[in-house]
Amino acid sequence: MNASRARLGFRTERFRKGKYVSTFQKRSRLGRLTAYNPKNDAGSAPAPQKSRWVNFVAANAAPVVASLALVWLATIGLLVLSNVIALNLIALVYMLPVVLAATQWGIVPGLVAAFAGAAAADFFFYPPRYSFWIESRQDVIDLLLYLLVAIVTSDLAARLKQAVDASRRREREITELHAFSQGLATCLTSRDLIFAIQDYLSTTLKYRAVLLASAPQDHGADADGTAVPEQIRQAAVKLMAANAPHAATIIEPRTNRAWLVRIIAPEILGYGAIAIELGHGSSERIGLIAKHVEAVLAEATVTLKHLKVKEAIEQAAINYRTEILRDALVGGVSHELRTPLASILGSCSVLNHRPAIRHDDESRSLVEAIHDQAAQLDNQIRDVLAAARISAKGVHPQLMWTDPTDIVDAAVKQKSRRLAGHQVVLELQRDIPLVHVDSALVEQAFGQLLENAAKYSPTGTEIKISSRCQHDYVELSVADQGSGLTADDKERLGKRCYRSDRNAAVSGSGLGLWIASTFVAANGGSLHAESQGPGFGATISLRLPTASEDTPELMDAIND
Amino acid sequence: MTKVLVIDDETQIRRFLRAGFELHGYTVLEAENAMAGLRAATIDRPDLIILDLNLPDLDGASVLERIRSWSNLPIIVLSIEADEQEKVRLLKLGADDYVVKPFGISELLARGEAALRRQLRSADRDPVVRAGPLSVDLVSRVVTLDGNRVQLTRKEYTLLHALATHAGLVMTHQQLIREIWGGRAGNIQYLRILVRKLRQKVEIDPTRPLLILSESGVGYRLDLGSAGSLRGQNEITSDTVCS
Repeated sequence: MNASRARLGFRTERFRKGKYVSTFQKRSRLGRLTAYNPKNDAGSAPAPQKSRWVNFVAANAAPVVASLALVWLATIGLLVLSNVIALNLIALVYMLPVVLAATQWGIVPGLVAAFAGAAAADFFFYPPRYSFWIESRQDVIDLLLYLLVAIVTSDLAARLKQAVDASRRREREITELHAFSQGLATCLTSRDLIFAIQDYLSTTLKYRAVLLASAPQDHGADADGTAVPEQIRQAAVKLMAANAPHAATIIEPRTNRAWLVRIIAPEILGYGAIAIELGHGSSERIGLIAKHVEAVLAEATVTLKHLKVKEAIEQAAINYRTEILRDALVGGVSHELRTPLASILGSCSVLNHRPAIRHDDESRSLVEAIHDQAAQLDNQIRDVLAAARISAKGVHPQLMWTDPTDIVDAAVKQKSRRLAGHQVVLELQRDIPLVHVDSALVEQAFGQLLENAAKYSPTGTEIKISSRCQHDYVELSVADQGSGLTADDKERLGKRCYRSDRNAAVSGSGLGLWIASTFVAANGGSLHAESQGPGFGATISLRLPTASEDTPELMDAIND
Repeated sequence: MTKVLVIDDETQIRRFLRAGFELHGYTVLEAENAMAGLRAATIDRPDLIILDLNLPDLDGASVLERIRSWSNLPIIVLSIEADEQEKVRLLKLGADDYVVKPFGISELLARGEAALRRQLRSADRDPVVRAGPLSVDLVSRVVTLDGNRVQLTRKEYTLLHALATHAGLVMTHQQLIREIWGGRAGNIQYLRILVRKLRQKVEIDPTRPLLILSESGVGYRLDLGSAGSLRGQNEITSDTVCS
């Protein structure tokens, strides 16, 4: 038990004589949602738009070339097969580049492909060939029909593409939002929360966002290295003082970087303003970015309102206090309750050595009763503490190669007084393979099995401990001749606080086997219960995984 | 008379330790904090120190280090909660052994006596270590069990020798691995197998070891007390409650 303490994640040092030193202050900031990447500044920002047309051409040039290439490919294919393919199928083949271009790159390349296809069909295939002139009226109608269908198709395909893109984007947003709201739920302090929100805004806006406190002396969120220039801070204070609803873009003179400062939902955050670093650029460009950022910010603010940030902040404070309280309680209980018990148990052991007591059967049995009851109490306190620690922090085993014989031996010794009234029969194989486990945890688990066997079987009966080796696991079993198990017991055994109704007379918390199964599971093993039914005794086994150990190096290292 | 210094801030613990040690013929000195303990260790020259780790004024490990800086006195450490790594660290810092609360007086006495005996042995140069039916002559390297000579391989003997020189006290896995394999790669897996082989030669029933006992996650000790007798089932011992 003692052994498992640190492993369960608690630090004893914190509880030196009740002087609790919180390590929560040192707790690292909660997991970042997405790290802010300053390199994104230029790249993913909305491009500076000198003229719409230039942008439009720049954005579509490559896809248009690609769609023309597709038409070219179709033409070559058709020229090769022109002798076998009927004329009325030609238009159909030219639909392919249209559909491809429209689904891949949108409406413009789709239309380009449509017209290029029509032109190519006319020039290369409709008689007279290699001329744009068309002889037959029917062919003219065909071609016009093709063009119509192609235009409609590329429009439809492009819409489909837009819809798919939008749903992907929404999915990403929802995933981010989900991660963010989960992050909020785990926040322990409002400081954690501020960081979470900052991260969220930075990710969503794609610019570094810093929340500024409404009180100027509180440097709050940006205290650690993400400093905001003093001038920006002052501007934010001014904005907050004036309670101006608008955003202000301020150029920081020293670095010549632009910042957007805006009051953001003080009613939910308690933090007055947000400063967003927009970076360098012409005033026109900054203006455009600022507009975009404001739009995203408005949306993000609504999201924050929906996520009940205020409640989350309060919850964070409660979580924090609860955690401190639980740690203090566990540490305090451990020290304050177990130290007096250690005195009682130690004193009993001294009394038992005194000649006056040793030779007086009555006194001796009283001393033993005190000892046993105190030991029982100590065990129960340790069980409760172990359960509390498992619930709070989980189990973190420290694996080490161990001889199962030693595990059994240690557990039998620990429980020797509990087992004193029973006949313990030990049948272990001599060459049980080593197991790679946390021996202290497995010992405790096995001790619980022994404790249970002693508790639920009549005094004087046999408790048999045996081992069995399978190719990939070792099984250590404890068989008693006690009340046995019903099918229901078997199923619910190892559940937290489960106690069979039939054993109401025997004291216990129902934690023992739950702790045992948790410890064993943490070591990659499992518990198994067997019983012929009520009244026929029970066998509870602990299985641990093995690995082969008979390597030649091993034999070299041992022999000699 | 052997003088034992108890450094523990819990009055009740000191009281029962005084009673227990006095019953077995020791003179007991008490200190209720680290500073008083360090003073007493220097001025009163005890033969054995029982040191609680949880002291109000100074970390027990620091007290241990300070005493070790000038003295080789036997020190047994007490703690209410200690994981294996902490135990190994204390042993490395120079504690002769540790006892985890709650414990019975006989366990602490056994540890204390083992530590004292080790001190005496290095002074007297008594070459033979006896543990129940087993005797190990550290000079002639002869090992006998109930008077019959036992043949051990070199590594088995090195292991037993290391344990015998610290008879009754725990030796960490790392200490043993270093003794046996030296600079060459040895590991805990090899050690476990070697211990098993040694047990097969010296234990009556290797599945119920009485001589070479494992200390979970820490190391091994050659037990002097219970060896040769059945486990004291009706005696109040530390075994019932310590872990």
